[in-house]
Amino acid sequence: MDNFSAVGTLRGMSDPRAPRPARRLLGLALLAIAPVVAACGGGGDDGDTVTVYSGRSEELIGPILDRFAEETGTSVRVRYGDSAELAVLLAEEGDRSEADLFISQSPGALGYLDGEGLLGTLPADVLDLAVEGAKASDGTWVGLSGRQRVLVYNTDAVDPAELPDSVLDLTDPAWSGRIGVAPSNGSFQDFVSAMRVELGDEATMSWLEGLAANDPVIYANNNAITQAVGRGEVEVGLVNHYYNLRLKDELGDAQRAENHVFPNGDVGSLLIVSGASLVEGADAADPATELVRFLLATEAQTYFTDETFEYPLAVGATPNAVLPALDFRSADIDYDVLGGDLASTLEMIREAGLEG
Amino acid sequence: VSVAVAVLFALPAVYVLWRTVGLDADLGEVFSDSVAPLWRTIQLAALVSVSATVLGTAMAWLVIRTDLPGRRVWRILAPLPLVFPSFVGAAAFLAALAPDGLFRTALEAVGLSAPDRFRGLGASWLVLTLFTYPYVYLPVAARLVGIGSSLEDAARSLGDRPRVAFRRVVLPQLRGSMLAGTLLVALYTVSEFGAVQLLAYDTLTRVIEANRIFDQPRSFAAATILLVLAVVVVVLERLVRRRVPETGRVGDRPAAPLPLGRWRWPSLAGVLLVLVLALIGPLAALAQWAWRGLARADQAGAQLGEDLGELLTPAWNSAWISTLTAVVAVLVVLPVAHLTARYRSRVAGPVNAAVVGGFAVPGLVIALSIVVFTLNTPALDVFYLTIPALVLAYLVHFGSQAMRAAEVAVASVPDRQRESSRMLGAGSVRRLVTVELPLMRPGLLAGGGLVLLSTIKELPATLLLAPFGFRTLTTRIWQSYTDGYLADVGLASVVLVLVSGALTWVLVLRRSDALA
Repeated sequence: MDNFSAVGTLRGMSDPRAPRPARRLLGLALLAIAPVVAACGGGGDDGDTVTVYSGRSEELIGPILDRFAEETGTSVRVRYGDSAELAVLLAEEGDRSEADLFISQSPGALGYLDGEGLLGTLPADVLDLAVEGAKASDGTWVGLSGRQRVLVYNTDAVDPAELPDSVLDLTDPAWSGRIGVAPSNGSFQDFVSAMRVELGDEATMSWLEGLAANDPVIYANNNAITQAVGRGEVEVGLVNHYYNLRLKDELGDAQRAENHVFPNGDVGSLLIVSGASLVEGADAADPATELVRFLLATEAQTYFTDETFEYPLAVGATPNAVLPALDFRSADIDYDVLGGDLASTLEMIREAGLEG
Repeated sequence: VSVAVAVLFALPAVYVLWRTVGLDADLGEVFSDSVAPLWRTIQLAALVSVSATVLGTAMAWLVIRTDLPGRRVWRILAPLPLVFPSFVGAAAFLAALAPDGLFRTALEAVGLSAPDRFRGLGASWLVLTLFTYPYVYLPVAARLVGIGSSLEDAARSLGDRPRVAFRRVVLPQLRGSMLAGTLLVALYTVSEFGAVQLLAYDTLTRVIEANRIFDQPRSFAAATILLVLAVVVVVLERLVRRRVPETGRVGDRPAAPLPLGRWRWPSLAGVLLVLVLALIGPLAALAQWAWRGLARADQAGAQLGEDLGELLTPAWNSAWISTLTAVVAVLVVLPVAHLTARYRSRVAGPVNAAVVGGFAVPGLVIALSIVVFTLNTPALDVFYLTIPALVLAYLVHFGSQAMRAAEVAVASVPDRQRESSRMLGAGSVRRLVTVELPLMRPGLLAGGGLVLLSTIKELPATLLLAPFGFRTLTTRIWQSYTDGYLADVGLASVVLVLVSGALTWVLVLRRSDALA
């Protein structure tokens, strides 16, 4: 429990890196002026403004973007939203998009845009900043931070000794009716895609069917599952690791749950990468590339791991002390193998009867 | 004018159909897969429509027409459950049912046990009823204020007992307003996503959302089904309405409060129970989140000041954009309402359907259709990602709420009064300003109020279409919620309810004479 007294101060007021309101307000003021300036220029942006579509929320990246603007004098304007919805927006905008950089919380959204030919190419020296396995071989995206898939469990209802060593064991009838799942959620879909890469479609399909046969409780998203496990509504849930850390910070002892990492690089605990891509045809490709470089530098990487308990992905960056050491083999999933065939992942989930 | 308005409002439908055809969806397969979610959507919409209509009408009658204790306070609070963005409302309800939550504690205190899992049809029905009854409450309350009491008094002086007088005299005069509200509740429920998703009730909107990126043909085909469902709802409502006699009488003397007698205290308990479930309870759960976060920080006072400071700009943005949208919406739909309510012309039906149908389309689809429209219309692309485009999206989505209220308002101006003012030689503008507008005012304000409350909590269109850097309270709440910053969700939600409450009071209730 020592860990969580540390967590309290991480996002508390005593942290010198915490955003100051003055800085935020300044940022807001700058951002408020940006559209006026852009409108005067006939809608196109000049080379000194980077336009970012960010699936990562303002709370988790805004202060770092402000720092970049301060240091380089490049102004940054941001559209925040859900990764998948921003990807659909980018596709609708096509070559009229003003976006230069897309930051996605989900590899799936990047894969979709890659398939539509809407991603540019990052230079090799930027790709080199990230650890192996956390970047696209063709340079279309680079990982900024990672979220680990875990099994969150209610500490009142589950004895840690009975927790399985592999996500594949959750099809055991012993877990019938006890598992929370979010099949409509991007992270779960990304995880199933990764499983297809690792184990093949047949094994993945039979696992999905086994899970469905175990009568899982369906939820909307990771957040909903983690809250439900925390209040004892369901015993365990397949989620990303940081929600429970976040909620313990928010709710204290009322969040009665812990994370279980499937050991030995199990596919159930792989890392879901949150990445950045240049948008094809970006007007401000150069400053946008500089921004990516900045996001992989120490200051930003430390911010990511301390603010959200994510795993930093730059070479040499240290994860926050509350995070268990990561087996990096698990990040080594080449989504490109699926060739953008993510619709099939949804179809498999649906066919297994896991919709909802 | 009306045709132009209709074209604007038909944009989302055109977009959806165009995409469904263009993406070459395997319609047969999608339709057969969609039967179950469609049936669930219909069940929920039917149940919520009935219960919200009963609840909204009862609340309006008690709060406007009777001597219910504290009614002036309840009049301000009664429309407010509408301000919760649906995912916040549902999340707060779930939090209140958590082991240490307010509702569970209260239930256990009186010896009842709360359900272990609050989900599915029953849960969605309860939550949506509580958060949508104001769609019925506002127009019915406006109508009750307008019709006065002379007919009812006459009926009672002729020997009818109060209950009989209500059924024979008051209820028939309310039917138009009730139906207007029911229609909105039905369409809202059909297009609802946030709450049913959290409460794990699998409807058509889930099919649209879950497939929006990897399986777009399926997503758009489901949206087409939703459109068809919306048209069916609109047609049904028109069929029912045609059989409702329009007994438009307004402007007689204001009603004296009806004494409730021995029903006074039970009625008060009922109104209180509704407000606790729909407003106070969820608000307390949100405040508890905020409080936990503040108590955790070292200096709670300084932290509160800082967080509130960060909410100032979003709060101001939320306030002015929703007010602007409400005004624009009333101005735009008034001519259409005039057309459909006064003259049963051939264009009126389709125009009306186009306006009303906009409410049944999920916000994401509306936003994308406006993106495509502004970017691909030569002179309009300069408006892309500007306030006018955002207001247009709100208007297309929520115009129907002003529309139905405006129709009822237009219909409530007695022909006699219009005729006599015309015979006295007043020009059409003067007639409108001096005779008709004052009579329509409660109805128009109620309609504008609905648009205001809907706009202030709108999320998907705001995220995709707002100018860079334009944040509202709702976008902040959503961002904090997705990342699990519950204290920030709580604080911003409390501010959202306060801002909405203040706006409703200043702009709608206070100006609507006897509404407050």
